[in-house]
Order: sequence, then structure tokens, then C-alpha cells
Amino acid sequence: MSSAQIKKEEIFGLWGTFVELVKVSLRAIMGSKMRSFLTVLGIIIGVLAVVTVLSIIQGVFASFFKEFETMGADTMFIRPNYEMFKSHVEGIRRLKMTYDDALYVKENVPDVKDVAPFLMSSDQISYRGKKDSTQIIGTTDSYITVNNLGLDEGRFISSVDVATRRKVCVIGVDIIDKLALPPQCIGEEIQIGRGTYTIIGVQEKKGGSFGQSQDDIIYIPLTTGVQQYGQTVANQVFMVVQVKDVKKMDDSVDRISTALRRKHGLKFGQEDDFRIFTVEQVRKIIKQFTSISTLVVTAIVSITLIVGGIGIMNIMLVSVTERTREIGIRMAVGAKRRHILYQFLLESVTLSTLGGIIGLLSGWGLAHLIVFILRKSVSETFPPAYVPIWVVFLSLLFAALTGAVFGVYPAYKASRLDPIEALRYE
Amino acid sequence: MATLIEVQNLKKDYPMGAAGVFNALKGVDIKVEKGEFVAIMGASGSGKSTLLHLLGCLDTPTSGSYLLEGTPVHTLSQDELAELRNSKIGFIFQSFYLLPRANVLENVELPLIYDKIPPSERKKRAMEVISFLQLETHAKHLPNQLSGGQRQQIAIARALVNNPSLIMADEPTGNLDSVTSQRIMELLKKLNDMGNTLILVTHEADIAVYAKRLVRIKDGIIISDEPIKKD
Ligand SMILES: Nc1ncnc2c1ncn2[C@@H]1O[C@H](COP(=O)(O)OP(=O)(O)OP(=O)(O)O)[C@@H](O)[C@H]1O
Ligand SMILES: [Mg+2]
Repeated sequence: MSSAQIKKEEIFGLWGTFVELVKVSLRAIMGSKMRSFLTVLGIIIGVLAVVTVLSIIQGVFASFFKEFETMGADTMFIRPNYEMFKSHVEGIRRLKMTYDDALYVKENVPDVKDVAPFLMSSDQISYRGKKDSTQIIGTTDSYITVNNLGLDEGRFISSVDVATRRKVCVIGVDIIDKLALPPQCIGEEIQIGRGTYTIIGVQEKKGGSFGQSQDDIIYIPLTTGVQQYGQTVANQVFMVVQVKDVKKMDDSVDRISTALRRKHGLKFGQEDDFRIFTVEQVRKIIKQFTSISTLVVTAIVSITLIVGGIGIMNIMLVSVTERTREIGIRMAVGAKRRHILYQFLLESVTLSTLGGIIGLLSGWGLAHLIVFILRKSVSETFPPAYVPIWVVFLSLLFAALTGAVFGVYPAYKASRLDPIEALRYE
Repeated sequence: MATLIEVQNLKKDYPMGAAGVFNALKGVDIKVEKGEFVAIMGASGSGKSTLLHLLGCLDTPTSGSYLLEGTPVHTLSQDELAELRNSKIGFIFQSFYLLPRANVLENVELPLIYDKIPPSERKKRAMEVISFLQLETHAKHLPNQLSGGQRQQIAIARALVNNPSLIMADEPTGNLDSVTSQRIMELLKKLNDMGNTLILVTHEADIAVYAKRLVRIKDGIIISDEPIKKD
């Protein structure tokens, strides 16, 4: 036999042993379902709490940062400084930023390459009796270049469309399904709120990020949007500004800020009534947020897992005692100490990981339930709960680790039993 | 004939609390050749099981030497003993000692798992032994679905599955009625006829007669060791 063959057999044997151990573990766990369940309840609750809290926070976080997702390094995002007021609603009532501001910035700051102003609304849409709703963005021809958007078909909104307030729209690919549009939908007329719009383009699929689709959207000319949605919406125009030289970003931010202050007639010492976000800043905020989330997770996780771990250790000690005879039998037919050690260690890891999985699934369910209730009672637009993949891995990893750490002592105890005494045990 | 077991002046003491030690074996010498069928008889507490455990590498002696197929065993570690038990020894116990939650096939497979045999090969070899004992129909049954005699046959299958050099049976018929006991003993005798070496502990004379050699033990000392004459 060649050495490669021997090696292969050995690995196969190890794998076989591992599979056997998992099987034995599951059998032992399933043999007393209620007890196993109660044992891992601590872990289930811990993981459930973490997943519920995080997925709701992450959902809010994701919807908040959706706007910044596609931002390039040479762009900045400007919106009214809602943080000046106690509530967002008051901010919307008292603050103003308009299409004029955008044009002013473009004309008066030489650093600026282009400005894409946009307003946002959501509205009912329909096509031949099929009804739905979506997000509406009113913008100009600059939007497609500044934001690096691609089109599948047709064209984007043009400066002429904006100047003449034409009733045309560019749709995200999700709209095709939502309204059951024909495959060749350019030229079709759809209803957006009170207005009838002609489809002139289809945006390239962008996919979802942070759990929300970016294709569930319709673009219309900004001026048409002002006409349709009125002054309140027209006073909340945001803008994405693209600069000529990304290396002079900080200077450009200063100059744009000065220009906007002048336009808004702010006196020296008065607070900015707008906020400028660069990619760098957004990154900083994301980082801050992430570290806070991590702190929360770590705190809950460590407390509950210690409690859960003690529960597991307790039951594993009972289990080792109850199965002393089994340990004796295994030793008699040739199990080494480490075989017994692995068996019980794996059992406690399997147990705690199962708890982690149950916690994960129920946390996911609970988060969606809470969002559902919030939507019914607080706000219909409450962002969907979202479980990032790192939360999934982290919670399962910690659950497994708890099983390993708290399973070591019982498993060690089992492995040190004397074969004869273990066999004689009644 | 090749020597399988060679034991000299084997002693085993058990600690007895503050009172010192209890000498369960007080110096045993015995030699067993390959292919033998030895019965060990003696009163309760005479040290039969103690001797069997030492010979079966389940325990280590306090003093004395033990060569198994020429290898000194009395100096080995727990894990080395486990490996020896796995490859060279098959055990049959009075109370069967099957895993209650594992089915018949899995019970028979057990020693092969610790010998790193791949699953398919394991199943094949276990089924061969089960077929040899004509227990195929029970392969998927749990031990508590079987009679005592069948359970002991499963335990025998488990003892055989690793092709051991030595089969140890500690009162294998102790929990069985007399008819079943005879059947089990016929089976053990058949295994011996096929070339297996067997050591049997019992305190019943009509069980011991199935063996070819009788060793009597009393208070931890061998008092007689002679062949059994067949009529
Ligand atoms: N672990 C132990 N600690 C202390 N004393 C022990 C231990 N194991 C056995 N003994 C003692 O050693 C003596 C021999 O025990 P052993 O089990 O070998 O007897 P036996 O001949 O098999 O008896 P039986 O026929 O009842 O099974 C007994 O007196 C027993 O009490
Ligand atoms: Mg005994």
C-alpha cells in the first residue's frame, strides 16, 4: 500500500469517526428533547435577543444609508440640517433647500463639475388596472452621470424634459414585475399618482443592498415632480455634487458651504441649515455605528452565554454520570481517552449550536413580527428587519464556542473514568 | 503451538481505605497457547473477574509481568491498553453491556469505529459477523427488543468483529436460562473449534465442561490447572 493510500484511509477513518460522533450526539440530544431544550434555553434566549435587536437596528441603518450606497469618492451629498431641530417633522417644516440652490452651487463654485438635485416622494402607481406603490425620485439629467447609473433600455431624463416639465419616467426593473408591464415597455403609459407618464427608459438592475431593493424606484423630471407634489416636497431638494478634483475635496466642501450660506442669507456665527456628507464622513458614521452594534452584541452575548454555558455544563455533568456504563463499554471495546473526550465535547457543542440555530431563527421571526407591528401602529414605512450575515456567523460561532468551553470539564471528567469502574456502575 | 499469554507472579491489590490494601490476586502464574479454551472457576470473591480484567488489558497489575503475544503489557499506558483491547481482545459480559440507544448493527460496529475503519467497510464486516450468527433479521432492532440469548449473541458478534486474538467471557450465561445457556456455550465451543482462543469465567461446573482446560482459583491463588477429560 502506498503512503498516499494510507493517508487517505486515515482521513476517511477520522471523518467516519466524526460523523459517528455527531450521530451519537444527536441521538443523545434527541433522546431527551425536553431536557435538551431546557438546557439550551439560555443560549436560545441570548441569541434571540441579539438577533432581534440587531436586525431591527440594521434595518433602520440600512435604509438610512441607502442614499449613500452608490456615492463615488468625488461626490458629496447635501441635505437640509434636520438635526438643528428636535424632530425631523419640524425640520421639514422649517428648513428649505430647492432646485435653485443646486443651480446656484453649480454656477458659482468653480470646483464643481456637476450637481444632481433630487426630490423624493412615494406614490401609488398603476398600469391597466394593476396597482402598486413605489418610491419616486424627481431629478435632472445630471443624476445619471453623477451617480454612475446604467440603463438597460431607452434613455434617461434630459435637460429638455426638465425644462419643459414633460411627463416621462425611467423605471427600475422591479416596476416591470410590480405593474406586469410588457417586455417592450418603452413608450407605455403608466399612472403615477394623478399624472400619466410615458416610460422612456429602464434602469439597469442594481440589486439589493442592506436587504432593500434599489430597483423598486421611478425617476421623473425634477420640475414635473415639483408640479405634481407641490411646495413642501419642492422645498426638500437634496443634491449630490460632483467635484472636479477629488484631492481638493475638503477645500471644495468649504467653498460649497460658503456659497450655500450666502444663498441662504446666513449671518456670521449662525449655524449651517444644511449638511454636507462626503464618502469619508459616511464611512466614519458607518464605522461608529458598527462599533456600537458590536458593543451591544458583545455585552448581551457574553452575559447570556455564560449563563447558558453553565446550564450546559450542568446537564453534561449529569449526562456523563448517567452514561457511565456506556463510557465503560466504549472503553472496553477500544475507545481511547480522547475518543470519549471528543464525544462529549462534540455533544455539548452540537447542543449549544442547535440552541444557537433555534435562537437565530426565532430572533429573525420576532424581528419581522416587531417590524410588522410597528408598521401597523407607528409608521407604514418602517424599514424591514435585516439580519446581516456576520450576525448569523457570529451568533452561531459564539453558541458553539460556549458549548466547547463549558463542555470541556464534563468531557474531561468522562475521559478520565476507569474502564472497569465505569462498566460496574449501576 | 504459539504462546499467547504468559503471566508471572501477577498481583493485584485494591486500596481499602485507612485499613490498607486488599490482596485480590496474590501471585498468579499462567500460560495460555493459541487456540486454547480455558475455563476459570472459583467461589464468589476469589478473584476470577480481577484476573480476567488483567488478562483482558482492562486493568493494570500492582506487580508481576504479563506478556501478550510476546509484548509486555504490564507497563503500557491507558491509551496503549485501549488500542490493544481494540485490536486483540473481544469481551463478553454477564449483563451483555450493549449500548441501549444503538441498534444491533451499530452495536456490532462499535469496535471498528475506534479502529478507524471507513463506514462502508465497517457495515460490511459487522453484517458478515451478524450473518454468521444468523441474526440478520434483527440488524435494525434495538437491544431491548431482543431476548437475553439474542442480546448475548449480539455481544458475541461485537467481540468477534475485530478478529481478536483472544476472547474473554465473564460469566456469559449468568443471566440466561439453562437452555439458552447451552446454546451460547455451543456457540463459544464452535468459535474455539474454528481456531479462536477463549478464556471463560464461570462458577457453574456444567458450563465449565465446554472448555478444554480448567483453572481453579481460590482467594487470589490458582489451586489447580488441568485439562478437562471428555467422555
Ligand atoms: N475496585 C475494587 N475495590 C476494592 N475491592 C475490590 C475491587 N474489585 C474487586 N474487589 C475485591 O476483590 C475480590 C475479588 O473480586 P472479583 O470481582 O475478582 O471476584 P470474582 O471471583 O469475580 O467474584 P464473583 O464470582 O462474585 O464475580 C473481591 O473480594 C472484591 O470485593
Ligand atoms: Mg466476577
